[in-house]
Amino acid sequence: MKKMIGLFVCLFLIGMQIVNAQSKQISGTVTSAEDGLGMPGVSVVIKGTTIGASTDIDGKYSLEAQASDVLMFSFVGMITQEITVGDQSVINVVLESESIGVDEVIVTGYTSHRKSEVTGSAVQVDGETLADMPVPNVEQALQGRIAGVNISAASGTPGSEQKIRIRGRSSITAGNEPLYVIDGVPVISGSVSSSTATSSLSAMAALNSNDIETITVLKDATATAAYGARGANGVIVITTKSGKSGKANINFSATYGISNDAVDGPTMLTGAQREELFYESLMNSFDLSSQAEARSFYEANPSSFGTDYVSWNAAGRPETDWADLITNDNAIMQEYNLSATGGKDGIKYYVSGGYLKQEATVIGSELERFTGSVNLDFDISPKLKFSTKNSASHMFQDGLLEGSAYFSSPRASKFFMPSIDQAYNADGTLNYETTSLPNPLFIAQNDIDQQRFTRIITNNSLTWQTPIENLTFTTKMSIDYQVFNMKTYDNPLRGDGDGETAGRGEVANRNRANYVFQNIVNYQLSLDGGHEFDFKAIQEYEERRRYFMYAAGDNFSDVGLTNLNSAGNPTDATADYTDEVQASYLGLIHYAYQGKYVADVTYRREGSSKFHPDHRWGNFWAIGGAWNINREDFMANYDFIDMLKFRASYGKSGNNNIDINQYQALLFYDSNYGGEGASYPGTFGNNGLAWETSYSLDLGLDFGLFNNRFSGSIGYYSRETQDMLLRVPLSLTQGHPNRNENIGRMENKGWEFEFNVDVVRSNDFNVSVSGNVATNKNEILELALDTNGDERNITSTTTRVETGHPVYGWYMPTWAGVDPDTGSELWYVDGVGSETTDNFNDANQVWQGGSAIPELTAGLNLHVDYKGFFLDASAFYAGGHKIYEQWHRYTNGTDVFSTLYYQGVNTLMDRWQKPGDTGTRFGKFEYTGRPWQRHSKFLYDGDFIRLRDLSVGYDFQKNITDAIGIGGLRVFVRGTNLLTWVKDDNLKYDPEVDTDGFTGMETPAAKSFIFGVNVKF
Amino acid sequence: MLFVFVVAMNACTTDDLEPSTEQNKAVEGGIASSENLYGVLKGAYSRMTESGYYGRDYIINNEVRSDNCFSNGNSGRFTTQAGFNYSANTGYFWDEAYEVIASANIVIGVNAEDLTGSQDYIKHMQGQAYVMRALVHFDLVKQYGQQHAGGTLGVPYVTEYKGDNLYPARNTVAECENFIMQDLATGFGLMSTSQDPSNEFITKYAAKAIESSVAVYFGDWAAAIAAAEAVMNNTDYDIIPAGGFVSSFASDVASNSIFELAFSSTDNRGINGLAYIYRTTGGGSYGDVQVIDDVINLYEVGDVRADILGYEGIMLRNIGKFPDNQGYDNVGVIRYEEVVLNYAEALFRTGDEANALIQINSITSNRGASAYSSPLTADDFLLERRKEFIFEGKRFEDLVRFGKNITKEYLQQNFSETIPYGDYRIAYPITQAEIDANSNIVQNTGY
Repeated sequence: MKKMIGLFVCLFLIGMQIVNAQSKQISGTVTSAEDGLGMPGVSVVIKGTTIGASTDIDGKYSLEAQASDVLMFSFVGMITQEITVGDQSVINVVLESESIGVDEVIVTGYTSHRKSEVTGSAVQVDGETLADMPVPNVEQALQGRIAGVNISAASGTPGSEQKIRIRGRSSITAGNEPLYVIDGVPVISGSVSSSTATSSLSAMAALNSNDIETITVLKDATATAAYGARGANGVIVITTKSGKSGKANINFSATYGISNDAVDGPTMLTGAQREELFYESLMNSFDLSSQAEARSFYEANPSSFGTDYVSWNAAGRPETDWADLITNDNAIMQEYNLSATGGKDGIKYYVSGGYLKQEATVIGSELERFTGSVNLDFDISPKLKFSTKNSASHMFQDGLLEGSAYFSSPRASKFFMPSIDQAYNADGTLNYETTSLPNPLFIAQNDIDQQRFTRIITNNSLTWQTPIENLTFTTKMSIDYQVFNMKTYDNPLRGDGDGETAGRGEVANRNRANYVFQNIVNYQLSLDGGHEFDFKAIQEYEERRRYFMYAAGDNFSDVGLTNLNSAGNPTDATADYTDEVQASYLGLIHYAYQGKYVADVTYRREGSSKFHPDHRWGNFWAIGGAWNINREDFMANYDFIDMLKFRASYGKSGNNNIDINQYQALLFYDSNYGGEGASYPGTFGNNGLAWETSYSLDLGLDFGLFNNRFSGSIGYYSRETQDMLLRVPLSLTQGHPNRNENIGRMENKGWEFEFNVDVVRSNDFNVSVSGNVATNKNEILELALDTNGDERNITSTTTRVETGHPVYGWYMPTWAGVDPDTGSELWYVDGVGSETTDNFNDANQVWQGGSAIPELTAGLNLHVDYKGFFLDASAFYAGGHKIYEQWHRYTNGTDVFSTLYYQGVNTLMDRWQKPGDTGTRFGKFEYTGRPWQRHSKFLYDGDFIRLRDLSVGYDFQKNITDAIGIGGLRVFVRGTNLLTWVKDDNLKYDPEVDTDGFTGMETPAAKSFIFGVNVKF
Repeated sequence: MLFVFVVAMNACTTDDLEPSTEQNKAVEGGIASSENLYGVLKGAYSRMTESGYYGRDYIINNEVRSDNCFSNGNSGRFTTQAGFNYSANTGYFWDEAYEVIASANIVIGVNAEDLTGSQDYIKHMQGQAYVMRALVHFDLVKQYGQQHAGGTLGVPYVTEYKGDNLYPARNTVAECENFIMQDLATGFGLMSTSQDPSNEFITKYAAKAIESSVAVYFGDWAAAIAAAEAVMNNTDYDIIPAGGFVSSFASDVASNSIFELAFSSTDNRGINGLAYIYRTTGGGSYGDVQVIDDVINLYEVGDVRADILGYEGIMLRNIGKFPDNQGYDNVGVIRYEEVVLNYAEALFRTGDEANALIQINSITSNRGASAYSSPLTADDFLLERRKEFIFEGKRFEDLVRFGKNITKEYLQQNFSETIPYGDYRIAYPITQAEIDANSNIVQNTGY
């Protein structure tokens, strides 16, 4: 194939010399069937070429063509018309509107097909739906819109990573993130943060959703087959906007709004409640009869109990509401975008610039983003077309230490800081010295957690219409260049850098370059009798290079100087380089017969540097078929059926989402001892390491009824992952915790339903309702066995990986309530129904049913428009999963953790106090520090419904905009996450948690109100 | 554009997909010289400095489970261990210890003749690895073995890196003792004093010093005497004099130091180190591990060891040992005073009270404390060891070695009642990850 490509290059150079035959001038007007008005921006192209024009503001066009040419008139949402030129010189066309959503063109990355010719499961969302959402990450706008796609935001801090699971979790210890493809090229996604302690920062947040034309989610084997090797987790295909021929269209949008926490979260104890519970714990532990007696006992033993309450009482019992203090009420968000598109003389352009700034709902955190793009299509010659898409963005995130439960995180202060500690001194200054944890108000002012991210993507392609009819050759080069900077600083007065550390700082810098080269040969063939073939051969090469630098120091020379330049004592400096290479060959055959029968065959061979040379290459394939039943003769009498398509696909896709260099047994050298470098065995190695593979079956029925007023699809999928890239636990006695092996099988299956109903459809009044429902059932079928034939499970204190259960299913002792006689917490020895014990260590872990992955998800969308007014609402539901409350040892402890050291939630007041108390949520308080005891009391039903989006707006009528002299004007208000319903009353945290199912101390999702204006010129 | 084609066309073979490993080398072929081997050996030492092991947890767990210290829960750390509430999920140094052993086994496993460099030097390094392997298994047996919890199981004694048996079962305590003594002897034989580097590495007679402790632990008094005498007769270590006692903890490699682990301003455990858990002085620290109030009464007037203690507000603290707040101090594994007390006790146990008195009083006389007189009791050695090694992570192991209950004497102690000698909690549970991965392992009773 390599040689062939070389040949094409030579041919193309000759081809450029060929001059066209005689041509003449054609002109005309394109009007809309609906209102008879001229349609601007309609594309008029000579079929089989890239020569064309587009209509002006009045719908007029002109171009040169030959008599034998066929002109294609196309416009989004309208049925394309083809007209042979013949001897005409004026061609007027009336375009009729296409029933939206039924036979639209679906972009699947390398290819795009009409929906009726799609054999797999691919769902497309228009850019218009995504624009103007008050979220930096475009993925957030997808939530609830596509069946089987679940999006979790681990944090509501602007710019944070979104975790996407398509049809559940396909891998146990390799990655579960889908592959992202922008303009046909795989790109790097995920969080770019170099630390897990600070806020995450998503590489995809660098993308401005206003620059996106469409997003397509590919779910099954045939849809993802083109990306087969890495498509097992699904593929998200993003197409950015291209220029449109014709007069310049300028679009300006501005939004401004405020946001607050969508969910308040747990309420904490007041100081008075906390003191009462503390004395009660002394009463219970030391046989004291009253609160007063307990208080005396407390005050008599200061070296055991401290003097916190003595001081607090002396100060007049002042209460501090830390939750309120750390909240940034009505956090401001704003976004401005300006874009222009147009084209003439063989050049089409789309240019845009955007600015976004969002404050977090917690103090001291915000995101700022600048974006710009220049996309050009340029006809070098009638046969040669050059296309370039370039975008650059820069993000600045002022984050926080929200990664775990760091004492210097303001969010942790809410849960951990005693309400008896004072934020301010008597003179009104900030009290940074005597709070038991660092005062978050002081930390927010004096510590720094900043991340900067710059991303430049340039994607260039050259398409040559070869002298052979319908044979085109495209070559593409893309560079995704990313620069990441991190800077942290801990002030020397209080917190992580205080005392002898005297201020601590860190910087990190990472450069990443991702090169992708593609060569694509495309050949279309039509045979008599309605046989349409589309052949594609693609060669792709991808290389990812990463260079990382990190340095740290302490002992800063003066307060307020935060760069390492001022650090007196450098403590760390490191740098490293890694790379990763992938090469693949791809063949695609698409066949359609009279629009009734469609078949796809795809084959991809891909090699990855993550595997041993003997197992480096994997072969992936898919076959798919579709049958448009409604086009059969026997269906001719069923006029109400506009579309009825049965589709089926089966195929093999892969996953190599593991750390690099895992097959090699390597010595690592990032260690030191006694001031000298040292080495140690870093990886166990496995020469047999190869691709993880998934076999997916997908069946579906797509339909459109009653002039497509009712349309939708029903689908079933089943995916079995085999030879999983499993981090198999090793005996720790060998010096390695685990190693990667290709072992085990896992299954995901489920149903997916999507529908759209146009309840009212007319010129100036429309109502439509759409929705989706998806199920997912996950089960592990096989795992590694040890030498005794015992299954090697992966067990934590709350979850387990075991055959016959969902992956990382909840697995812990079951809580059995509180003993009414003794006040002790009870647990079942072997799950519900067995005998109970008050000794936690005697209670065995048992399956609790379910995992963190929802078994049922649904979305519901409503659209109403009336004479320019419009209303859009969307809600989504996730359920059948469970969520575990993390950090309950501290916040829900019936011991010193909540009453003496830290802070407790106010539900602790519902506790056992005396024999006979029944049904309390908590047992008796005792003066002790209990160990971590994770059990089912803190495992909650995760079901929730969220009103994701509600917007109301008005499009000014054309007579008004004409009068002002603009092309269009829209004003709207939009609310995000306005309402949240949670099934389990005990779940006080935001129900949208990370995919691992644990609540955290991150910023919760935001509830926002924005006001926006869109002006077209 | 030409560039595009060139790159695309030349990059499609399996070889072109070879990942670069600029930071790493393959284990196979990566050790070709004595210097390469030295790197791996240093890696083994470095692993001993982890927080889970000598960097903090091993030392703290031996203090909070005793009458020296308790956890005040300031950051929530060590309350579980101090309350004897641990379970198989609590986590301890099982993984870190076996990582040291894996590194040591790589050093032991190379064929010295295949390496370039001085053969004596290579043998000396292999000798260190043998002693290290013995020491780490010894630490593991003391914490996980059933010898004081009514059983006979020790820990798996691992002698090969990536050997034939990747899923070993537990050896008995007696087998472990044998292997440990054998490794110590082998290591001693391979080393030569002329090759000894600083005491931040295991030296030839450090092997004997460690052997004296192992022998004392297992009650092999003759071996203990022989090993201790070997140290005393062949080295010039000193008992630190009274005037230098406190300051000796603030300086690296003092004259009593036989083997200590290196920590420095660029290589330390930071917030997960010993100083951060023992104190809040100097700011930012956790300070969970507080000293039980009554410890102030442990020392008689004039005993310089009392100067290790100090107060932060009303909290009694370890101020003098591991004094650098940021963890820049070395952590001692064995010092000369331990060899002296091992010797004294072994003499006493074998009936030589006169010489036992001389030895034990060589300690008290250098501390400003009054001398012991006849009749000596076993408890005198327990007491003197407590006074001498307080906060250095020996108390819990000494208490159980002497067959004592861990008594609940003070309100401050985290456990609710006395833990009798022989209780299952004296042996730490094998970590759950090991149980899950290796069905040949038998969990300790009670967990």
